[in-house]
Amino acid sequence: MNEAIVADSVKKSYRLYIDKGQTLKEKVLFKKRRKYEEREVLKGISFAVAKGEAVGLIGENGCGKSTTLKLLTRILYPDSGKITVQGRVSSLIELGAGFHPDMTGKENIYINASIFGLSRKEIDERLQEIIDFSELGEYINNPVRTYSSGMYMRLAFSVAVNVSADVLLIDEILGVGDIYFQEKCFQKIQSIKETGTTIVIVSHSLSQIESICERSIWISEGLIRMQGEPSDVHKNYIEYMREKHEM
Amino acid sequence: MKLIKELYHYREMMNSLIRRDLRGRYKGSVLGFLWTFLNPLLQLGVYTLVFSVIMRNGISDYYMFLFVALVPWMFFSTVLTGGAACILNQKNMVQKIYFPRQVLPIAFVTSQFINMLFSFLIIFFVLLISGKGFNFIALYYLPFIMVVEYTLALGITMMMSAITVYLRDMEYILGIVAMAWQFLSPVIYSIEQVPEELRGIFMANPMASILTAYRDVLYYKQIPEIGTLSNAFFMSMVLVLLGWYVFAKLSKRFAEEL
Repeated sequence: MNEAIVADSVKKSYRLYIDKGQTLKEKVLFKKRRKYEEREVLKGISFAVAKGEAVGLIGENGCGKSTTLKLLTRILYPDSGKITVQGRVSSLIELGAGFHPDMTGKENIYINASIFGLSRKEIDERLQEIIDFSELGEYINNPVRTYSSGMYMRLAFSVAVNVSADVLLIDEILGVGDIYFQEKCFQKIQSIKETGTTIVIVSHSLSQIESICERSIWISEGLIRMQGEPSDVHKNYIEYMREKHEM
Repeated sequence: MKLIKELYHYREMMNSLIRRDLRGRYKGSVLGFLWTFLNPLLQLGVYTLVFSVIMRNGISDYYMFLFVALVPWMFFSTVLTGGAACILNQKNMVQKIYFPRQVLPIAFVTSQFINMLFSFLIIFFVLLISGKGFNFIALYYLPFIMVVEYTLALGITMMMSAITVYLRDMEYILGIVAMAWQFLSPVIYSIEQVPEELRGIFMANPMASILTAYRDVLYYKQIPEIGTLSNAFFMSMVLVLLGWYVFAKLSKRFAEEL
């Protein structure tokens, strides 16, 4: 098997409830109100990502790229079609899951990393690296509620990138911290890539994708519109966006 | 099978959730961890006052008779009423990150179970100082009974916590169910006091067998009947499998429904 990720004609609809009753009374009495619209976000997309490849997903707002990423992490499940992902997945989608404000940075490293499926031993091994990367120094023993939002994100990012995943999913998060830290994150992702990790990035920053990815997939209205060499795809994408918004 | 392997992988997550729960439970209260012991003792006091001083029932050492069933019952009833919300309460995590969702009910039930084990320390202590003593051979059955009760509690929690995501009423309905269930289980009375002709239906309640078994071992100091044990075991297995199945079905849409 050379493919780390295979998506096969994946479809996904959301139920948009107009007025949703969640209690028994509401469900029984207002049956008619419980209308929802099915909105198809993904209309059947298929792609494969080879092991060690880095792929960027681009497209306008609401085109389904974040949904695709959530399907890959298995937060959501497709209505039809199949997704297979091989190996341990780490996602930089929502950072800091399970952080507890009253616990120290160090304790939160353990909680957060355990949610990624790491054993205690694995966390012990990575602890120093995580702390070093976050550059929190002494603050690591303070409760997380005393952190600034930048410190919080730095800690969360450090955990997520040190999971040593086989597949890394990234959603618009390279805006963490100051310019210096952003650059550092960027380099970290480059070095993760060099170790053979498969990467999928969702981003509006085309230049970031161009410098990391070998391939871009352009999703438009729930379908793949184009894929290939990032610079080619991006040229078409920019043209398309320009035409659309000049109308 | 794959899921079980994956859950094993996530054991550290369960550990840290359990630790967070046990440590955080009494945070901010003056007596802190002591509440783990005080709570059952205070309930014991009230029930003993009502059912052996006011309404005399003729059971010797009624406080002990009651206590050995009350502690396991309190575990079950806390799980029944509190467990329903265990997915709902971790909404943020469920929406944001993947992990096998089964981790949440397992961690919840386990942390309550550990709490019950602490309360058992008092049971042993009281049995010791009251001079009632133990039957060590019967005591060998105790871990088995506990595991059966744990299994039952887990099955119910999985089912109810998954349903609660879709139907928020479940939490409140279960509060009433727990109350009724307590009076329909042999907690404050014994199974012998139930009219013979009703006993058949009565034993369809898995908690009836489980509580009877606890009482046999700790109060009557005898080995529980094999019928009682197999009855409890069988029903718990059915419920845990059912709970597991319902949970697997419903968990796919958790992130959207929350």
